[in-house]
Amino acid sequence: MSDTHAANRREDLRLITGRGRYTADMNLPGQLHACFLRADRAHAEIVAIDAKPALARPGVVAVLTGADALAAKYTQFPNLMSFTGRNGAGILKPDRPVLATGKVCYVGEVIAMVVAESALAAQDALDAIEIEYRDLGAVVTMADALAPGAPQLHANVPGNLCFEWETGNAAAVEQAFARAAHITRLKVLTTRVAPSPMEPRACVVSYTAASDSYDIYTPSQGMVMLRRQFSTLTGVPEDRLRVHTHDVGGSFGQRSGVYPEHGAQMIAAKQLGRPVKWVGSRAEGFMSDAHGRGIEIAGELALDRDGGFLAARYEFLCDMGAYLTPTGSVSHLRNPATLMTGVYRIPALYGSFKVVLTNTVPIAAYRGAGRPDIAYAVERVVDRAADELKIERAELRRRNFIPPDAFPYKTPTVGVYEPSNFAGCLDQALATADWAGFEQRRADAVKRGKLRGMGLSTIIEATGAGVFPKDQVAIDVDAQGKLTVHTVSMSSGQGHETTFAAVVADTLGVPHEMVTLRECDPARDLTGNHTGGSRSMVGAGSVCKLAAQKMIEQAKPFAAEELELEPSQVDYGDGAFRARDGDKTISFEQLARKLAGRHPHPMNTLAEASVGSTWPNGCHIAEVEVDPETGVTQIASYVAVDDSGTVINHQIVEGQVHGGVAQGAGQIFGEEVIYDRASGQLLTGSFMDYGMPRAGMLRDIQVGDHPLPSTLNALGAKGVGESGCTASLPALANAMTDALRPAGVGHLDMPYTPSKVWHALQSAKVT
Amino acid sequence: MFEFSYVKAKSLPDASAFVTAHPDAKLMSGGMTLIPTLKQRLARPTHLVDIGGLPELGGIESRDGQLIIGAATQHADVASSAVVQKAIPALAVLAEHIGDPQVRNRGTLGGSVANNDPAADYPAAVLGLDAIIVTNRREIAAADFFQGMFATALEAGEIVVRLRFPIPRRAVYEKFPHPASGYAMAGVFVADGAGGLRVAVTGAASGVFRWQEAELALTKKMSPAALEGLALDMSDMNEDIHATREYRANLVRVMTKRAVQKLAAA
Repeated sequence: MSDTHAANRREDLRLITGRGRYTADMNLPGQLHACFLRADRAHAEIVAIDAKPALARPGVVAVLTGADALAAKYTQFPNLMSFTGRNGAGILKPDRPVLATGKVCYVGEVIAMVVAESALAAQDALDAIEIEYRDLGAVVTMADALAPGAPQLHANVPGNLCFEWETGNAAAVEQAFARAAHITRLKVLTTRVAPSPMEPRACVVSYTAASDSYDIYTPSQGMVMLRRQFSTLTGVPEDRLRVHTHDVGGSFGQRSGVYPEHGAQMIAAKQLGRPVKWVGSRAEGFMSDAHGRGIEIAGELALDRDGGFLAARYEFLCDMGAYLTPTGSVSHLRNPATLMTGVYRIPALYGSFKVVLTNTVPIAAYRGAGRPDIAYAVERVVDRAADELKIERAELRRRNFIPPDAFPYKTPTVGVYEPSNFAGCLDQALATADWAGFEQRRADAVKRGKLRGMGLSTIIEATGAGVFPKDQVAIDVDAQGKLTVHTVSMSSGQGHETTFAAVVADTLGVPHEMVTLRECDPARDLTGNHTGGSRSMVGAGSVCKLAAQKMIEQAKPFAAEELELEPSQVDYGDGAFRARDGDKTISFEQLARKLAGRHPHPMNTLAEASVGSTWPNGCHIAEVEVDPETGVTQIASYVAVDDSGTVINHQIVEGQVHGGVAQGAGQIFGEEVIYDRASGQLLTGSFMDYGMPRAGMLRDIQVGDHPLPSTLNALGAKGVGESGCTASLPALANAMTDALRPAGVGHLDMPYTPSKVWHALQSAKVT
Repeated sequence: MFEFSYVKAKSLPDASAFVTAHPDAKLMSGGMTLIPTLKQRLARPTHLVDIGGLPELGGIESRDGQLIIGAATQHADVASSAVVQKAIPALAVLAEHIGDPQVRNRGTLGGSVANNDPAADYPAAVLGLDAIIVTNRREIAAADFFQGMFATALEAGEIVVRLRFPIPRRAVYEKFPHPASGYAMAGVFVADGAGGLRVAVTGAASGVFRWQEAELALTKKMSPAALEGLALDMSDMNEDIHATREYRANLVRVMTKRAVQKLAAA
């Protein structure tokens, strides 16, 4: 697959001309409409709830409350934690009825669902539900939640601490610290953010009494994992759950889990015998869609007198919000633990984790899912060490990179890195960004009254190994010889229709137009992983290639028959079967047409493989300029050099990097979910207050490839979906630190809002 | 949104009579503030009286040293009008930076002024240029019209018909957009006209105001240096999760300085 297409995405015309089919576009005959009553306070006992007045409102068919959730036993959400913690203890999982029962634990938690003949009627009736609360006092920060005497969210989670875990070797680290020439310490925070995909959350549920089964239309990242989660939550067997997803307007991890609204709609659809539809609003999104990040990390790095890394120790505090989502805890522990050594050879490592519950929206995996957080901590600590020891930043990294001859490299924690060329990525990025010429540009900026800074990050990621042990792909052949590829991953912007079709078409040597992708067809009994953890091309993409190869072998006997040869005498290439000796040939398309009369088509292929983690890595360099009068930062230039392994489509890879960097820049410069510490109210509940990045923030990103194809999968792909977020958080923060240092400003937590930067500069002036 | 009735006004007197007779009816011009408010269920009018298309509220003309703009003129039309660009280019620039293209193609001058959002851009120009707000009943001076956050001198049934802007010798609008909303966190309109030099500030406080210390200092000496160390009352400045009073006051100073620099260069 050496092809380097920059083909335009096949899905774009449909999507940008309004012909996408999103969940809100789904309407079923006889459907009712749901609307949710949400908690308007952060932590309170529900003393009494009276839904009767709402039932009397026009058009209202039913009002469901926590009693219905308890009756259905929809109270235990799935959680993907696969390991135990300190003293062998499992994670403490609070009960989470799909409609709150007894108490509410965050602003936005669903309490009741009104089902009516129209969405407007349902919304109108919400106000009529009467609730008596008793406030319990809210804790919205981890420090407050862990403080002695803090209000307790859940009786089975003492001290609001649901899990403690450690990894690495504490004693070895202790010994190394004792003999270190220098120790660098830095405490950092990756802020809680609201992913805010463009398509709001939505769901339509239909129940079929005859088969006691459900059809669930919802945006998802892939139907198999979501179906399993529905089953875990509801006890309904997986074969009675059909999950339908068509187009999805962004996921970012936020759609990886089942939500309470899904369960409540299933109860109502069965109870009422009519489909129930709900389309969430943006305001509901801010207060109930899973948030991301929210990790405090205290890092310590021990160095010898030459700047060699001896040991590192990290303490993690992971905010999970009020309940556990399926993905939040595992991703916020496993990924940082796996990547704690970064791209460096560090003989001793130790990490300890505390998982904390607060009166806030639950946290799930969000683009990078712990990878950006640990990369941010490691790369900020390394930059600080360089500053303290007066060793040039790129040079300090270079001295400590895992050298090429050390691969496969077993880290002191849990990973085995595949071959990577960290110095190669670094050199290419330094050259592209003109690192050497920076001080002149800084001096020029000073003349203009500006503070200019440059920062870099050298990072590595583990792509998702997946939850399900194997990925399956089916390819069907129709009477015209056209191919339909079935996978159970789900594109929400990744361009699978273009790239997966390209992989199959190029493997077969047929035109791309002959291949169409169909993802998540509920009628197909396929297994495999959802889209997440940068793994779709690595996993489903690789199996697409294997399936095409298998199809050739499967078709060969039929081709041989047509060519009147032994199968062993038939070769395949350039879209045709041909005699090894002589010029007899039959094209793939001709053969497919010839065999079209047989059912099923004998060329139909099912392939599967177990595809594990790969290790994309790279170097990003950011250059920024701060206006000290207003605190406003401009990103002057941005260079991304990534080793994403084999690239199938450059345009799509660049798009993934652009998107990831934009989300990273959004978090560095503006995005932050803020709760009022006293009341627990959400203060950033709309785009009026939540600072999403705008297109103008990043005018030009230079994307460079430094591919070293993976040997761990059929394509050689390493995955690229999350590298933009992972590398940009530290690169941009390091650039900001570099810009502000000459003015006397030290470490600042993200986001670097104009106001925060200006205040920091004022304080530095005073001291 | 709650249920309401939509009424398309046939004339100005018709609209005025209707809202006078129906105290919970709301006038709507472009609806760019009103409709989001309705969608969030923060308002529950019985009727929306649409005056956006009334011909009496249209038109842009420049005569006798005044720029006259009909109240229902959309921001995009102000921004692209050759008449406005010639008479008061700063006003065209201001309009060009309101909201986003959708808002600029629906939202109107009169709607913005009548709403008097403390972070809206137009009030700075109206006060800075000492404009006259012409309603269906009377003429109101800018200084009397704006009465603090979302409050104006308009009475029930009174409708803004047009605005008359005295054309200044030179004027500049300098805006610092709110990082999330894009509204003015501090917007400063500096105008040098027949009535003297005026500095009007929006976004920073509970309503548009004139920075009189700056006006005096700049009248004496038209230079950024004149602003250094000037008093600026922070007591009424907004303070929230996005910015402290001190930061907003700093933005007012910096935006004023930059406006003066541009003014001097103009």
